[in-house]
Amino acid sequence: MVSGMKTVAIAILVGLLWLGGSLNAWARPAPSSGTASSIQPYLNRVSDQVTEFTLDNGMKFIVLERHQAPVVSFMTYADVGGANEPPGQTGVAHYLEHLAFKGTERIGTRDFAAEALLLERLDQLFDQLQTARAAGDTEGATQLQAEFAAVASEANAYVKQNELGLIVSQAGGVGLNANTSADATRYFYSFPANKLELWMSLESERFLEPVFREFFQEKQVILEERQMRTDNSPVGRMVEAFLETAFEVHPYRQPVIGYEADLQNLRRQDVQAFFDTYYVPNNLTLAVVGDVNPKEVKRLAQIYFGRYPARPAPPALTVSEPPQTEPRSITLNLPSQPWYFEGYHRPAITDPDNSVYELIASLLSDGRTSRLYRNLVETQRVALSAQGSSSFPGDKYPHLMLFYALSAPDRSVEEVATALHQEIERLKTEPVDEVDLDRLKTQARASLLRSLDSNSGMARLLVEYQVKTGDWRNLFRELDEIAAVTAADIQRVAQATFTPENCTVGKILPQTS
Amino acid sequence: MGFQPLFRSHLPRWGHVLGKQQRFSLIALVAIGLIFLGSVPVRAATPRHYTELTFPALPEIQLPDYERFQLDNGLVVYLMENHELPLVAGTVMIHTGSRFDPPDKVGLADVTGTVIRAGGTQSHDANTLNRLLEQRAAAVEVSVGQAMGSARFSALSEDLESVFGLFAEVLQSPRFPQDQIDLALSQGRGAISRRNDTPDSISGREFPKLIYGADSPFARTQEYETLAAITRTDLVQFYQTYFHPDQMILGIVGDFEPRGMKQLIQAQFGDWPASSTPLAETPPPVVPRSPGGVFLVEQPQLTQSTVQLGHLGVRLDDPDMFALYVINEALNSFGGRLFDEVRSRQGLAYSVYALWRPQYDYPGLFVGGGQTRSETTVAFIEAVKAEFEKLRTTPISEQELQQAKDSILNSFVFNFQDPAQTLVRLMRYEYFDYPDDYIFQYQRAVKAMTANQVLQAAQAHLHPDQLVTLVVGNPQTMQPDLTALQGTVTPVKLQPTS
Repeated sequence: MVSGMKTVAIAILVGLLWLGGSLNAWARPAPSSGTASSIQPYLNRVSDQVTEFTLDNGMKFIVLERHQAPVVSFMTYADVGGANEPPGQTGVAHYLEHLAFKGTERIGTRDFAAEALLLERLDQLFDQLQTARAAGDTEGATQLQAEFAAVASEANAYVKQNELGLIVSQAGGVGLNANTSADATRYFYSFPANKLELWMSLESERFLEPVFREFFQEKQVILEERQMRTDNSPVGRMVEAFLETAFEVHPYRQPVIGYEADLQNLRRQDVQAFFDTYYVPNNLTLAVVGDVNPKEVKRLAQIYFGRYPARPAPPALTVSEPPQTEPRSITLNLPSQPWYFEGYHRPAITDPDNSVYELIASLLSDGRTSRLYRNLVETQRVALSAQGSSSFPGDKYPHLMLFYALSAPDRSVEEVATALHQEIERLKTEPVDEVDLDRLKTQARASLLRSLDSNSGMARLLVEYQVKTGDWRNLFRELDEIAAVTAADIQRVAQATFTPENCTVGKILPQTS
Repeated sequence: MGFQPLFRSHLPRWGHVLGKQQRFSLIALVAIGLIFLGSVPVRAATPRHYTELTFPALPEIQLPDYERFQLDNGLVVYLMENHELPLVAGTVMIHTGSRFDPPDKVGLADVTGTVIRAGGTQSHDANTLNRLLEQRAAAVEVSVGQAMGSARFSALSEDLESVFGLFAEVLQSPRFPQDQIDLALSQGRGAISRRNDTPDSISGREFPKLIYGADSPFARTQEYETLAAITRTDLVQFYQTYFHPDQMILGIVGDFEPRGMKQLIQAQFGDWPASSTPLAETPPPVVPRSPGGVFLVEQPQLTQSTVQLGHLGVRLDDPDMFALYVINEALNSFGGRLFDEVRSRQGLAYSVYALWRPQYDYPGLFVGGGQTRSETTVAFIEAVKAEFEKLRTTPISEQELQQAKDSILNSFVFNFQDPAQTLVRLMRYEYFDYPDDYIFQYQRAVKAMTANQVLQAAQAHLHPDQLVTLVVGNPQTMQPDLTALQGTVTPVKLQPTS
């Protein structure tokens, strides 16, 4: 039951941060000492099996050969997420992700030329409808609504629903899905190894000539998703409110799913403009992991993805969050048992202290020997579950180290807060025992080792390190950085980070009425 | 994307049951002969549309080598070597389950499983055990589910001997300290107190109760009073009743040397005595319930309804099961009927599904559902029911049948991605007394499946008159309200959580 509760809590939070398929975003490799030497050759061997290339148009590929079974996993990683959304268009990155399953000019349609005209007509009608509504012209709106419905129905007759997914599935593809976070948008699935070229064909066509058909039906689907994840979920509502409180200007304060009003107003042209800006070759990184010949991958990639014209790099995000200068807090009274959240601003993944933060999270949260489990759950029994994450809501930009806990029956969130602060203070005042440090380092190394046999997992890790740190090798190098972390580093970082003025507290309290 | 990968019908659920804790699946096979499959005979020089591509066949699936033997005390052992990574993992399946909990002590099996591990052993108290394992980045976990107990370990191969010793200790001499029993019970009470916090949790709990009956071992839930009745003596007794080597199947996969491994198993498990009176427990009966109806859990704060609808399903060994898997495929996921119609065309839901979930040794559920905004609750339910009706009345088209069959057969290789999958599957077949080639029977049956078989299976196993429809939501905003479905709506009262 212990682990059950923990799993539930993590699933809830991860679900809110990564819209889309399931994924343990926090399962990060952490590292070691005595066992280091015995594991290292295996890590090196895998590292040696990785090749990379960049097409002339700037698109980057990472390939890991693994011939254990005749299967291969793919990931397309667009370096764009909720944080890149223009004001008033929250949710557009995730909306685009949904629409990227709607097909192309040749897939998903019975007659694209005829369909395209109707899609444009729908765009015009939607604009007119918005104008009429804004002007309070109810009669005009009703009339436009009727025309809109008629054209939508006409357009719908041309659609072959979900044909892209159907092709993938019929060919034996599994795990077709995608997710969108504050930092990135990822598309993925796996094929039997004889279908490498099929992926090349489908995936290159998908982002070369996408058609955002069924745009308005999908809006309803996304609004349902928002209802499910946020409006009807106590934790979902807290996460949204918490980020709005912890960040004042950085777009990490925006919900990836989007605000309802923004979603209602979004137009197909907005999604297209977002796509044109960010889905350019030099902003896309693709990983291929499994039973493939890297030379063949490169040859086919040039043929299929070489079709994309080079484009200017998308604008970099320049907004930075000013230092927090006083404690903040947000309390929501909801029909729910209590939850406690506490977040501290920390630097981005590229910061030299990143590994220190990783180790702190691991020390506090990983396993039965972790400090939060031992002290908050097992000994003091103030919490059913207590965890820390070093990367909330993303980690590409300066973000938060987040702690959260579910209070135990008859224990208050104040008691949870007190116990949590004891552990945080201890990080600042007491050097971590060498034995504990060794354990965390060994676990990090073993954790990476255990992820090596998953094609889809390795595709995800390699591409993520490539994009966020500039080199996939950092996935492996991070182990050395973690190995180099000292007890003094942990104290130094804890003292600098865990200050009252850098803290945002969130509380869900049961509704009393 | 916006879709929750709930289930894949062609990965029948048995692969999943060991759950998140198990690291068993982290070992891969070096399959001789599978190395150069990626090469493509005809080489394209220009991009080709998918319709222009042809593919070489995948080779026949090769099962990894394994060994099965039995110790004198009855312990069944499976060994499967795999030297890709310096890791070893093992699992023990134990003939027990929460289905055998006494009605007034529901939760006993669960708590026992938790404390067997969390409480440490006669030789190593909990803290020492945790430290010894985690210092080696190793894990030992134990749990008891509804139909099976399981214990798992994972270790770097250099630590195999010590970790395997601790694993054996946990199984053979658990300490059951009172403080860990209290903790487990308190965690259980905490889970009860939070179980109505999300609509999913409510419907997932209440729907099986409506099908099997609230007191059925396949639906009942832990309550404050059943947890309060559980004592240390009960745990010890539960343990002594079920934890015997002749009631277990041990499987080990990974980077070990077989002779040494066998010696280690003999040394650690060989002296463990068999039970004096072997169990002959059979699963409790499923008592047919009264006909279906519409049920409502009123949650005024919700703006979206969570819906489940379905009825009693089948056992996995039902002769029609393979046809029902084809229906599962045709209904679900991208391009499935429900996804196309209810989600993509009508925009009624983000999540929508319906499928048979067979169980090995008792009838499982046929269940569909999803979430939809309150206003469209009835429209959503009607849309899903219309798909059920279509299945009963209209044969599946040849194209759709082919699509479903291809999906299952072309992705079949993913059932054999790594040797641990095969090992756990074989153990599970033995545990539930299924033929060891069951998965290939499935493959052959799907290959031969006809539209008529699918129609007959749908007619035999879909019972619209027995449908139980459960809605968790706010009836004030449903338009029309639920009486539009069939007149009577039965309110479901939730057990208090405090």
